[in-house]
Amino acid sequence: MNGTWGWPLLLAALSLGGLAAGILGDGVWDWLCWVGLAAPVVVVVRRMRDQWHGPDERSNQNS
Amino acid sequence: MRAPVLRGWYAVHRWSSLICTINLLILCLTGLLLVFHDEIDAALGQDHRPVAAVVGNAAKPSLQTLVDSAVQGDAQHTVQSMFFPPDEPSLVAMHLGERGSASLRGGKNIIFNMDNGMRQALPVNVETVTGFLLKLHVNLFLGLPGQLFIGLVGLIFVLSIVSGIVIYAPLTRKLVFGILRFGRQARIVQADLHNLFAVTTMVWALVVGLTGTFLAFSPLIIGLWQKTELADIIRTLPAAKPHSMVPVDQAIAQARLRAPGKDLAYVFYPGTEYATQRHYMVVQRGHSELEQRLFSIVVVDAQDGTVADARGMPWYMQALLLSGPFHFGDYAGLPLKILWAMLTLLTATVTVSGFIVWMKRTRAVVVRRNEATLADGWGGQT
Repeated sequence: MNGTWGWPLLLAALSLGGLAAGILGDGVWDWLCWVGLAAPVVVVVRRMRDQWHGPDERSNQNS
Repeated sequence: MRAPVLRGWYAVHRWSSLICTINLLILCLTGLLLVFHDEIDAALGQDHRPVAAVVGNAAKPSLQTLVDSAVQGDAQHTVQSMFFPPDEPSLVAMHLGERGSASLRGGKNIIFNMDNGMRQALPVNVETVTGFLLKLHVNLFLGLPGQLFIGLVGLIFVLSIVSGIVIYAPLTRKLVFGILRFGRQARIVQADLHNLFAVTTMVWALVVGLTGTFLAFSPLIIGLWQKTELADIIRTLPAAKPHSMVPVDQAIAQARLRAPGKDLAYVFYPGTEYATQRHYMVVQRGHSELEQRLFSIVVVDAQDGTVADARGMPWYMQALLLSGPFHFGDYAGLPLKILWAMLTLLTATVTVSGFIVWMKRTRAVVVRRNEATLADGWGGQT
């Protein structure tokens, strides 16, 4: 795993786990499903919120 | 990755994505609403639940009594199949077709309450909002050809995702994960949004795309099952029509003994397309969220009521049956539906942003000559 694939692979694993958990049962399984599939949405929202202001500075640092 | 290989994968990604852009947007928008079809139907008063009783009978009757009642005074029709809805354990829906016909298409349906033998009114056959959306989503109002076309779109969508995953690392290796360069040129902003949204939703989109493709090709998959597994059952079992038939309750009782602890899902009568000339096909499902979708079949001789065979569904039929929940997102309550809708919106945004990146490609080529910063990420790919 390198810097490029670290986050995507983590989100992929959480998504896959979430998709599977919901079908395996109810109760705690449903919660695992919601957490797993909420992860990509949360990451997208946080990345957008964090970078909405001062994008130039961030991109200069990272490019 | 060598440059020619990368260019090849990039071309695959570009064209596979462009080909299915419009259809994918239609599928995303209709799918977004269909996720909440129960809620929409309820809000519009269009939820299809049997409401009015037509005929009354106080005692709990046998299923055979209900079958006899269904065909009483109707010499043209016979019961071909029964469906036991998992969310309405008191109800059985019987399908009646013309005598001697194997096809389950056409015909008519009668719903009974098994607890009291009362015949339930059929849902009023009006076009609902979600029914309209479903037809648009499933086949673009073009019947089977439209459905197979949607399946093809699904395959191209999967190819688009796979090729996108292949080119993701080479195109973003100089960028930190999730960078969004707001304030830069529109093409760079859209490319950043495209990269972030696509890579975070790739597994979900792959699963929904693959299961949707599987569902779209379901007529072919069911046809394969009929021509292989079902044909094998028919070939290996006696084919003579029964002189007389045991009551359907007896066939079900035998099936329950052979595969205990399950719920009834379907019963197909001898002579129909999902059964042999001689046997009842009793299809049962399990109780858990997963096992509800995995069927097992018990083949019962209609003449003497003995079990002739029992087997599960082949892997591709099980996969087809499991494709439903993984495509519709209806197996873990309202929170999952809301997440499903959000992920659908993200996928629609990926489609639009990718299209904008492509639309602005020519201008970007010109700008690239004068702006070295476009060399990183997607800005350098045209």
